[in-house]
Amino acid sequence: MTGLIWVLEAVLLGCLLVYRWAGLGRLQPAWAAWLLVFGAGAAGGVGLTSCVFFIFEVLLGSHAVALVLEIALLVWSGYEAFRHRWQIDKPAAAVRAPVALPWIAGALLVTLVIATAAMAIAWDQNPQGNWDAWAIWNLRAKFLASPGGLAQRAWSPLLGRITHAEYPLLVSGFVGRAWAGSNSLSRAIPEATSYVFFLGLLAMVTGGITALRGPTLGLLAGLALATAPALLREVPAQYADVPLAAYITGALVFALLDRPVSAGAFAALAAWTKDEGLLFLILFLAGTSIFRWRDLRAAILGAAPVGVLAAVFKVLLSRGNGSLLTTSLPGAEHRIVDASRYGTTLAAFGREFMALASGWYHPILPLAMLAIVLHFERERRRDVAFCGTVLGALLLGYFGIYILTVNDINWQIQTSLSRLLVQVWPAVVLVGFISLRAPEAAAITTRAAQLDVRCKARHKFAK
Amino acid sequence: MAVEREQVRYPARIVAGIAAAIALCLWGAFESYGVESDYQRQSPDPYQIRAQFVRLGPVVSAVPEDAVMGYVTDAESGSVTDSALLASAEYVLAPRLLARGAEHDWVLGNFTRPADFAAFGKSRGLRLQQDCGNGVVLYRKEAQP
Repeated sequence: MTGLIWVLEAVLLGCLLVYRWAGLGRLQPAWAAWLLVFGAGAAGGVGLTSCVFFIFEVLLGSHAVALVLEIALLVWSGYEAFRHRWQIDKPAAAVRAPVALPWIAGALLVTLVIATAAMAIAWDQNPQGNWDAWAIWNLRAKFLASPGGLAQRAWSPLLGRITHAEYPLLVSGFVGRAWAGSNSLSRAIPEATSYVFFLGLLAMVTGGITALRGPTLGLLAGLALATAPALLREVPAQYADVPLAAYITGALVFALLDRPVSAGAFAALAAWTKDEGLLFLILFLAGTSIFRWRDLRAAILGAAPVGVLAAVFKVLLSRGNGSLLTTSLPGAEHRIVDASRYGTTLAAFGREFMALASGWYHPILPLAMLAIVLHFERERRRDVAFCGTVLGALLLGYFGIYILTVNDINWQIQTSLSRLLVQVWPAVVLVGFISLRAPEAAAITTRAAQLDVRCKARHKFAK
Repeated sequence: MAVEREQVRYPARIVAGIAAAIALCLWGAFESYGVESDYQRQSPDPYQIRAQFVRLGPVVSAVPEDAVMGYVTDAESGSVTDSALLASAEYVLAPRLLARGAEHDWVLGNFTRPADFAAFGKSRGLRLQQDCGNGVVLYRKEAQP
């Protein structure tokens, strides 16, 4: 269990850095800003410490430098956060009482408890996680946690195709860091890592939409996400898809909040998490250049450090391990013109979208219900177009990979498509709720002369 | 004393819609819990990873951590069983590396059914070092002491 200290330390470091430098202190309401600090801090802290571990401990072989650097960063960011404590502003104008806020918040807490209880059963029954957890992510974490130069086996071509030695190392690096630091291979660490990403994702969506569109929509978005069955299934699986979903969503949230440096950094962390994240980084920067070109330079600046690390890994370190794309290129011209592959893939996308459900409950239902009663907000068209274009292009990229793949297309779809949809689902929820009209806009306000309650009571008593 | 108060109310349509959305989410949470908890209880550890730690325990003790081991099996090449046996062995034995074939000093035999493991190894230039039971056999190259 001492390994959990390494998880908590990473989350704390991330929270302090986000608190001090992400410029969230002026957001209203304050609790939305705090949710963003926690959500972005958790995901960002895990990403940052994973990168520090990989560069200094794995590549340069110095445990001491990695440790000293992390502790120095923690102390410095704590000092900076203390020096620049937020001055919480009072709202400029009276905020209209949101609809049923305590009920939504209560429901969110209840669903969170239920979701956690379901995950606890999975952690108990399958502590090693699902196939990819032990065959890819935690296996490579074991290598990274090993001493004496054995860490570089995490991308050895000897690992073979089923282990995907070419995959980026954010999640494995973070688990390996905690295993190495605690000198144990505790199952609690990969479990806690997945759960931290889930909570961070939830906090970023709830806080981000609250800051952008108000507390009612923010909490409802959190509620809709916390009950998405496919997402909940993936958390105890201990894969890298929930972390990737957190980085994709975080990048979009920060972009919409006009924090392009943080947005770029999150997009780059996505690239260091999975190959799909590399595609997302490219599309995110392309989308920014079209819809938010003024932010492009800052986004590139934010993405550069981790983006370079991901590129160095792919181009130099793991170059002996062909990726799905590179191994699929020979003979691709025949597969591209095979019409049946398009039909198969399209049908699978439809089928897997329906399979996001659990029983009769599909996570699109609450969003559809709210769209019917609230309608859509026209002023948000540009934000929706930006996010929609990036996500649409990402899904199109996934579609293209299925057309190109050298593997059996049915096997490829069966083993991956549901997880690809989980990667984008939280961002879809984000865009969906951003596009809705805030219920507060439909409030009917009346000024009425009333007897003060105390006077009323006194009057009654006198009678 | 009369005071002026701002009263905020919402159209019934919106309140009803939000209430319905909350109810839907709660239904989803319970539905998801039921399905997932049933599934997890019915299929605990489907690839028997916990058992692999026991099965391969003697190999972990015998082979140095920096070894690159060969790997031979009787599982049908390319089958799910073959992949599961190899991947789970890689996981348990890491940081040792496994490479298919009998070309290394240490070779892991990972079998699905009883057989003459010594003869199996001999035909591949391997000497049986230790039969660990449960289909796990540790071989060494013939030339090794």
